[in-house]
Amino acid sequence: MDVDPRQYEHIAINDNDIHNIIMSYLVHNCFKETLESFIACTGMKQPSDYLEDMDKRKRIFQFALEGNALKSIELTEQLATNLLEKNKDLHFDLLSLHFVELVCSRKCAAALEFAQTKLTPFGKEQKYVEKLEDFMALLAFDEPEKSPMFHLLSLEYRQHVAENLNRAILAYANHPSYTAMERLIQQTTVVRQCLNQEHTKDGPPPFSLKDFLKS
Amino acid sequence: MGGVEDDEPASKRMKLSSEELRLLSNGSAIKEPLAGSSGGLMAWPLHSQGGKEVVGSKGLIKKVEFVRIITKALYSLGYIKSGAHLEEESGITLHSSLVNVFMRQILEGSWDESIVTLHDIGLTDERTIKSASFLILEQKFFELLDEEKVMDALNTLRTEIAPLCINNSRVRELSSSIVSPSQCFSVWSLKQDTLRARSRTKLLEELQKLLPPTVMIPERRLEHLVEQALVLQRGACLFHNSMDKEMSLYADHQCGRDQIPSQTLQILQSHADEVWFLQFSHNGKYLASSSNDRSAIIWEVDANGLSLKHKLSGHQKPISSVSWSPDDHQLLTCGVEEVLRCWDVSSGECLHVYEKAGLGMVSCGWSPDGKWIFSGVNDKSICMWELDGKELECWKGQCTLKISDLEITSDGRQIISICRETAILLHDREAKVERLIEEDRTITSFSLSRDNRFLLVNLLNQEIHLWNIEGDLKLVSKYKGHKRTRFIIRSCFGGLEQAFIASGSEDSLVYIWHRGTGELIKALPGHSGSVNCVSWNPANPHMLASASDDRTIRIWGLNNLSAKLKDSHSNGIHYCNGRT
Repeated sequence: MDVDPRQYEHIAINDNDIHNIIMSYLVHNCFKETLESFIACTGMKQPSDYLEDMDKRKRIFQFALEGNALKSIELTEQLATNLLEKNKDLHFDLLSLHFVELVCSRKCAAALEFAQTKLTPFGKEQKYVEKLEDFMALLAFDEPEKSPMFHLLSLEYRQHVAENLNRAILAYANHPSYTAMERLIQQTTVVRQCLNQEHTKDGPPPFSLKDFLKS
Repeated sequence: MGGVEDDEPASKRMKLSSEELRLLSNGSAIKEPLAGSSGGLMAWPLHSQGGKEVVGSKGLIKKVEFVRIITKALYSLGYIKSGAHLEEESGITLHSSLVNVFMRQILEGSWDESIVTLHDIGLTDERTIKSASFLILEQKFFELLDEEKVMDALNTLRTEIAPLCINNSRVRELSSSIVSPSQCFSVWSLKQDTLRARSRTKLLEELQKLLPPTVMIPERRLEHLVEQALVLQRGACLFHNSMDKEMSLYADHQCGRDQIPSQTLQILQSHADEVWFLQFSHNGKYLASSSNDRSAIIWEVDANGLSLKHKLSGHQKPISSVSWSPDDHQLLTCGVEEVLRCWDVSSGECLHVYEKAGLGMVSCGWSPDGKWIFSGVNDKSICMWELDGKELECWKGQCTLKISDLEITSDGRQIISICRETAILLHDREAKVERLIEEDRTITSFSLSRDNRFLLVNLLNQEIHLWNIEGDLKLVSKYKGHKRTRFIIRSCFGGLEQAFIASGSEDSLVYIWHRGTGELIKALPGHSGSVNCVSWNPANPHMLASASDDRTIRIWGLNNLSAKLKDSHSNGIHYCNGRT
């Protein structure tokens, strides 16, 4: 390849590509109104079956993020039957969200019963045992926020589970589970790391997303 | 005479007690009650007279501690009444009353009360109190679970156990055990025993280990002290050479010198010239000897002594050494700068001759699996052969001298030989590493210990040096007293656990030292010529063989008289020719 990876400024870009990238981002994150408005402005072709499902997906995501895992599970079953059966890790994570809810609202007896009926069956497989132990340990503390496992109660954790659920639903419907935007940013990061490793100070510096966003 | 004591005036009683007080302060132990008092010793509160009373001739033993551990031992042995009586009579209670209450509460299962008592006992270490509380509450937790009071157990965990903030991983395990008390996760079945209630007595034992010994005397303390003394005695027993002796508490253990072979039991006179080398087989059932008369002899060891089994002829030169195969089925003999011959022990047949054109062998040895033979050659190399005679490897260079021993460690890795006048080479075949033992004087011979950790080196200056060859090479001991001026004299390890060193000597005596202390124990007369080599029977710590220039081999054993005085359990060897 005789093209220097640092010389990126003269590469031609297709407008359509950019629109597609933006659309994929909006669809993935269920920004329905924004998407409709964007389509109207740019005159892009409306993606066929996305819209209706987007509403449902959005609600599923919201419930999971709030910690209302049971509702989230119910809606998922409606939208994508068998998804959770085939995706046991996800199923476990969602159920554990509900468990955490019960623990946080200090409903110990209910939490215990829920764990015994819904979570322990997963314990037959070795890979769930440690996770189970982590969650059960929350029961021992009067103030679970102060226990060693406090991260299981955090927003970040719920976000993580909700996002996984979102991706799984998209994949189930044969749509891409990652946005083009994510991939592009990941790619840029790697390229920049590679270029930095080459130790050559001469020539133009590689593109830095961080600097761009700051400016 | 029963009523007399009651009538005795108080003053007389007082005198008795001051008498005993005097005895005590002199440091002598109380042996018997003083005459005139059939009621035995009086009890008075010793605590108030200071816990400084001592017993024993060295004044090391505090009386209070002594009585308490005896009391504990009585209780452990099941003599409850005696234990209680001793507590009463001596006025020394085994445990303070609080501790007694505590123990009772544990055994009854009054958990919350026991924790209160625990705090009252007055321990100084916060951590100990917490750990002990943890154990008690854990027991409470498990017992609640057993009674299916799940919510109560959970409550205990949340409000009592977790706040202690110790042992978080255990807290984790406890919460998991609530969730599935009976049908445990299949993977967890391994943890089953740690996840259920143990017996309350076991809990008490665990607590005993946790709490300081002044509060609760540890179990079996007296037994432990006595065993310690016995082990020390055994270690200090210089002549310990007999497994039969059982240790008794009545007298200090000490094997007498009569456990060391010191009497000639047999004189073997079948060689026609100086006997240069001998060695017992690994199983102790045979002895092989080699001589200047160019023959080797295999002797059989049995209940009546040694008898000639085979005379091996064939060498054209005197035989300098022999080597037993690891399974004792074959014997290698080495002619001086000549060939090696391999003989079958049961038939006496010569199986193979190992030679190298134009060169002569100087030493021989076996690989530990009996598949290969090593030999030193007079061109200073060491060769390795397959049994059928095929030469496999040859280490050239200054590996060995014309006069040298050859030993291979039992892991097959190290080949040991004298490579220079003052140095022994330890060549590791696998790691291809070489180590050197360097001495100031000329080395004449060496011997490897059975555990491969030590090397016994004979020097020109009449010293025998013991080297540790495991890890870093270190000189450990020196043995002196024997005579060596002109010839090769050999020494060996021997006795129970190779605790002794024996050596030949030019003054025709056999010398025996205690390996650990280096003390010369015996110098045995009998031979009429230089004693060239000694070998101690590996299977019988009471049998020693020596080879001499006087053409004889002497078999040494225990003193006849003491052997007869022993109980009927003999070593299976009847003694004949009991005279020197």
